Order: sequence, then structure tokens, then C-alpha cells
Amino acid sequence: MSNPSTVEKTISYIFLILVGVLLASPFLYMISIALASDATTVKSAFTFVPMEFQWSNFYTIFTNNNLGTYLKNSVIITVFTIIGSVLSASIVSYGFARIKAKGSRFLFIVLLSTMMIPGEVTMVPQFIIFRHLDWINTFYPLIVPSFFAGAFNVFLIRQFVMSIPKSLDEAAMIDGMGHPGMYWKIIMPLTYPILAAIAIFSFSYNWGNFMGPLIYINDPEKMPLALGVQLLTTVGGGQMPPWNLVMIASLFLTIPMVLVYLFGQRYVYEANISGGSSGIK
Amino acid sequence: MRKKDGKWFYIFISPWLIGFLGLTLGPILFSIYMSFTNWDLFQSPEFIGIDNYKTLLTDDPIFWKSVGNTFFYALISIPLGMSISLWIAYYLNKKIKGITFFRILFYLPSVVPVVASSLLFIHLLAPTEGLINQALAIFGIQGPAWLLDPNWVKPALILMSLWGVGGGVVLLLAGMKGIPQELYEAAAIDGAKSTQSFFHITFPMLTPVIFFNLVTGMIGALQTFAQVFIVTAGGPDNASQMVVPYLFQNAFQFYKMGYASAIAWVLFIIIMALTLVVFRSSALWVHYEEGKANE
Repeated sequence: MSNPSTVEKTISYIFLILVGVLLASPFLYMISIALASDATTVKSAFTFVPMEFQWSNFYTIFTNNNLGTYLKNSVIITVFTIIGSVLSASIVSYGFARIKAKGSRFLFIVLLSTMMIPGEVTMVPQFIIFRHLDWINTFYPLIVPSFFAGAFNVFLIRQFVMSIPKSLDEAAMIDGMGHPGMYWKIIMPLTYPILAAIAIFSFSYNWGNFMGPLIYINDPEKMPLALGVQLLTTVGGGQMPPWNLVMIASLFLTIPMVLVYLFGQRYVYEANISGGSSGIK
Repeated sequence: MRKKDGKWFYIFISPWLIGFLGLTLGPILFSIYMSFTNWDLFQSPEFIGIDNYKTLLTDDPIFWKSVGNTFFYALISIPLGMSISLWIAYYLNKKIKGITFFRILFYLPSVVPVVASSLLFIHLLAPTEGLINQALAIFGIQGPAWLLDPNWVKPALILMSLWGVGGGVVLLLAGMKGIPQELYEAAAIDGAKSTQSFFHITFPMLTPVIFFNLVTGMIGALQTFAQVFIVTAGGPDNASQMVVPYLFQNAFQFYKMGYASAIAWVLFIIIMALTLVVFRSSALWVHYEEGKANE
């Protein structure tokens, strides 16, 4: 776009500021409720600017409400699912991008078509499988599937690997390098940017995942933050939930996502380009 | 060497292949079988033929209500969200000071986990002290009781979805940056006004991105779960019940595994059919650059 005129600029600023206020105010309200006092919570008399700043909420939620445990569980689940999804998709995509074999085309089409099946179809049978394995109330049902290479991730890395010149492998082949060495020493290091993007996608999905833990975890000691924070709101007996603490937990759920976005957007952007803008979910 | 390659191919893809057989294909077959049974998890499954589907389609008003609500939600939230994101992207594409700040600000709500935004919107939508009704009161408008009112609970969920509109904006913005500057310059020489060049250049050039946003948005909206589960639990009077929460309820609260599987397959058919329709329609309105169509 060419440089806009003054009138155009003014209209743009007015529009952007108005929309900006609309989009930012829920965040401010979240912070405001997080700092509200218990009395305010009970009366449910939240104001946009808190009447008093009760910083001790941050202390309370760690001592009385298990926030530390929820956070620890979330971190464990997220770290392992990131390792699993990046590693497995990377290995599998090398196979599909670089090795010609009987049936490889057919299997790649099968892989692509699995992307069209909604997770709800496999949800119930998977629950039954994991229940048979006695994995209810463990992290396994949330972590183990990520080690089996997600179709979307494989597709994304494969697109990226296809753009790496074949002459590179041919030279290495002549030098007597086999597929494992070629994958590990040549191709994989070249795909770091796209692997970073996949790590970010995996983080976003798993850090905020609600349905998985809801199905598999009943024990509060094992709950990740996304489920634990919801548990905080389900106090029985017509009692008012501690909304100020719930909002602190929501902040803990939100802030890592914001940080990862701010530091990782470069990689996500790159993934979009190589995936033909099929990246962001 | 070729023979050895075959071995390596299967070694490399084995993580996916095992997962496909054990966690996708196996469960799919199992799920088809289950949908023809009556199974509460505790007794052994009893084969009942197409009874689950028959009940679902002819004798379950809550299922039909949840399908209707899901369509209503998708049909309004997607076009609305896409128009607003196009509008926002248009302004975010201006060369003005501080634009990076606005780009970050507008994107941030879409990274908030749905659990957190759901809990937040319970407050924002509260009848008297909620921020939204407080804001409306400034203009002398008395806002509805949103989540407690059967007529307003779906609009409330749609409003909530609009907060995360920035996710689609990013792709539109990237698309806008990819439009060759010469097109605008040529149009300007021919005397085109900025609205004209928007509708004759920007919009057609963005149709591939709009198409992508439409398909992913549609699939996502049809699978809405956490918002409904957390914010309304399907209420009041099933006015916000949707297909996936209803499926979840049948499976994990009523332990009707067979019935839940039948719902999953009906959902699959709905998603497939609609995706196919949208893909077919794309020939009419999605503009691809020459030579890029087969990418």
C-alpha cells in the first residue's frame, strides 16, 4: 500500500483504537477480577477497576488450591507431548519425503485422508482401549498418542523436506551414508525452523487441552491446569466459586501462551509459508 | 539398494503406521461395530442393528435441537467472524506508526486457551454486573440475561467466538502482503478508487485464504465443545446444546457407548458432506493464480 493520506490515517487510528479497546478489555477484566477481594467475590460485585488490590490471592491459590500441582502436571504433559509429536513426525516425514518404496504413495494418501476424520469418531473406542490398559487417571492417554506422528505435522515437515535439494542426499549416498545418518545428520538439522513451529503448535494444543484430561483424569492430584481451573469453579451447595482465584489460574493458563506466541511467531509464520498457508489451526 | 530402501521406508514410517493401525483404523472399525450395539461399558455389548441410528434420527428431540443449535452457531459465527476479520485485516495492512502493536494486540485473544476465555466470558456476560451489560447500560440499553435466556445464549456464544477473530486475521494479512503492488498502481492509473480496488483486486486475490478460513472455521464450529460444556452446560433448556457436548454426555455421563458412537458417525457424515459442498463451490468463487492451482 502506498503511504496513506492524513484523513485515511485518522480514520484508521480511530478504527484500530476502538477495536483495540474492545479486544483488550476482557484481558483487563480478567486481571481486575484476579485482584478482587474475597468479599467482592462473595457479593459478586466486580468492578472494572478493582476496589481493593488483594495481592495475597496469588499466595492463597498456591497454598490452598493446588495450583502448583496443576502447573507441574501441565508442564510434564506438555513437555512429553512436544517431544513425542516433534520427534515422531520428523522421522516419519523423512520416510515419506525421501525414500521411494512400494506402497509409499498409497500410504501417503491414507495419511492425508486421516486428517479428515474428526477426533470424536475415535474418541470413544480410544477411551475403551486405554481403560483396558488401566491407564485411566494416568498421563499416558494424554502423552503416548503424540509419539505416533500426527498426520498434519508429517504433511507439514514433508512439504518442507521436499524443498531441500536432492543433490545433497545423493552426494552423501555416494559417500556411503545410509538413511539413518542422512536423516539425523543432514535433513533433520535443516528442518529446525519447521520443527520449532510444530513444537509451538503442540504446545498450544496440549497446554490448553480440556477434553482429553476431562475424559481421562478424575483425580485432582493428576489434573493439568486447564482441567484444574474448571474444577475450582464447581464448588457445590450453592456456594459462590472463588472467582478471583479462578481468574488467577486463568492468567497462569494464558500467559505462557502469550509468551510462546511473542517469541515463536517467526517460526509459525515460516510454517505457514512452507505449508502453503495451511499452518495455523 | 532399492530393496533395502523399502525396508528403511517402513522403519521410518513405523511410528505413524503403528499409530494409524492402533489408534485410528482399529478404533474406526471398533466404533462402527459399537454404533450397532447397546453397551454401557459394564455388561457385554448387545447387537441391536440400526436401532441407535433409528432412535437418533426419529426419536431424539435433544439430538435434533443440538444439530440445529450447532448449525445456527456455525452459520452466524463464521460469516460474521470472516467479515470482521477482513475488515480488521484491511486496516492492519496500512502503513502507519504503531501498527505492529495493533497487530499483536488483535492476535492475542486467539491464543487464550478456550477454558480461560470460557471462564472469563461467564463474567463478561453476567446479567447486571457483567462488563458487557455495564457497557450497554452507558448507552441506556438494558442488556439481556445472556446465558440464562434461551433466546440470547447462542448469540452470547457467537459473541465469545468473535473475540478470537485475530487468528484468521493473521492469514488474511499475510495474503494481503502477497498481492503484487503493481496491480494497485495499474488500477490507480485507470482511476480506480480505494473501495473499487478493494473489491476488484484485494478481495479476489484473498479468496484462497478466505476459502481456507471458511473450511477450517466450519470444521471447528461443528466440533464446538469446551465453550458449551463450561459456560452453559447446554442450557437453559438445551437452548445451547450442541452435537459434540451431547456426544460427550452420552458416552461419559450416561455410559451409552453405542449411542455415542452412532452420534459420532452422524457428525462425521455432516462434516464430510458440508466440506464436500464447500470444496465443490470453490470452483465458482475461489480465484487461483495461473500455475499456482496445482501447488
